[in-house]
Amino acid sequence: MESFRFNHNDNVAYALLFSPVNDPGKIKQRIIDAAKADDQDRDAVNFSFIEASLITSRLHLETAIHQAIIVESQGSLRTKTIHSEILFALNPTNNITEAIRRYGVSETSKSLIVVQITDSSASASDVETKMKAVVDGVVVSFRELATVTDWDRVKKYLKLDKEAKEKGDLARTQAFIDSVAISSVAMKSVMQ
Amino acid sequence: MAVSLSQSLIQTSLPISQGAEAASYLRSFSDSILKVYKAQLSPESPPILLKYRFKKHYRHPNLDLNLTRSRIAGEARALLKCLRSGVNVPGIRMVDATDGVLGIDWIDGQSVRKLLPGGTEDDGPDDPENQNDTQAGNYNDLKEYGVSVDGLMKMVGIEIAKMHRVDVIHGDLTTSNMMLRHPKSFSSSVTTLTTELVLIDFGLSYQSTLTEDKAVDLYVLERAFSSTHPDSEPMFTSVLAAYANTMGKDWPAIKNRLDDVRLRGRKRSMVG
Ligand SMILES: Nc1ncnc2c1ncn2[C@@H]1O[C@H](COP(=O)(O)OP(=O)(O)OP(=O)(O)O)[C@@H](O)[C@H]1O
Ligand SMILES: [Mg+2]
Repeated sequence: MESFRFNHNDNVAYALLFSPVNDPGKIKQRIIDAAKADDQDRDAVNFSFIEASLITSRLHLETAIHQAIIVESQGSLRTKTIHSEILFALNPTNNITEAIRRYGVSETSKSLIVVQITDSSASASDVETKMKAVVDGVVVSFRELATVTDWDRVKKYLKLDKEAKEKGDLARTQAFIDSVAISSVAMKSVMQ
Repeated sequence: MAVSLSQSLIQTSLPISQGAEAASYLRSFSDSILKVYKAQLSPESPPILLKYRFKKHYRHPNLDLNLTRSRIAGEARALLKCLRSGVNVPGIRMVDATDGVLGIDWIDGQSVRKLLPGGTEDDGPDDPENQNDTQAGNYNDLKEYGVSVDGLMKMVGIEIAKMHRVDVIHGDLTTSNMMLRHPKSFSSSVTTLTTELVLIDFGLSYQSTLTEDKAVDLYVLERAFSSTHPDSEPMFTSVLAAYANTMGKDWPAIKNRLDDVRLRGRKRSMVG
């Protein structure tokens, strides 16, 4: 279990990387159904389900979590929950539907990151159990993220095709895309 | 009211600059104050530089808030544009325009000003760059960076040209507003680099395609060179040569305009 803590805030974000994930369509359907159901059903999927292939680094995800926490603490969420706000922060436009379609779980998701932001009282193992109850897949270490990232798709969504060409070797191209991805998330609230 | 998230971040941060506060207090419009901190958002993440802007007197809270907000938004947008276009600038790590906070990647290194002759004079003990020294040993010697003065001037010219090519005008080009990354700060995955020139401080930047604005940007830097560094003429000549080379066909028009701007500057100083 990966955890994200900030020096200036009491929230903790727990995260698991599932790769591969089986039957993502079922997870998606469950999220849709839960929206119309009772509290207990909703609580079971009270996570951010993130398309892992669009995350470029741990810091990229951390920045999106941090952004969601800032916005929530100011009472200015643009989406329904702090968990959907992570998806909104990841998408470089202000289109909420598009953010959820691109960065959320879809029928074609092969790997997923599941995140829950909670106060420090929640136990990591409870959160882990709940996550594993919803997602049928193999939990792998966050180090595997590097092998999951679909750089071409990230590049396309960030509109960096031309700029990335000039970087030369692979390591530098990826470092460049990662830094633009992180900065885009961090400046989301003042994006034009 | 409860302490905001950015406020508690500031409380966990290390102030690195009373000097910059005084300086920006003097030269900025109205009574906006800037404080600078070194901070860390999480135990695992790389350090950041926090720029915290606020007003000394709250006369028109809403107006003040909007001015601060738009200044921070402008700085963040200019940084992202530069970053996307491959201009070396610090990456953005957080923006809280409501609270007046901008967090950017901490650059391990030294300002160009400190690396050139004359640049270390007139600094109070509160100067932020002196803090860099105490934290990381001797960063003041250009030799440590593996570049000559002339090589450094070329890097400056190239980076400014890259920025102007995408129509970003810096608005405050000085040798304090550019840093050289220390060789030891490069990760092993990108080892071909020994150092890198990074442009900072986009607080006064704006977008423009005008030759005049690019020429004035260069003129501001020329004046900064001559007032800070003795015998700066050959240095600035090297800056311009590299700039010209990178700008290509756009250079002759900018050069003509720079000559005009210099003439206007001289006339103005004669009138007094
Ligand atoms: N990314 C950074 N990493 C390390 N040090 C930095 C970084 N950015 C700025 N500094 C240091 O902090 C000082 C002040 O920052 P900056 O130049 O951005 O603001 P300023 O000139 O005080 O304000 P203004 O934006 O109002 O013009 C710099 O001169 C530099 O020494
Ligand atoms: Mg400055």
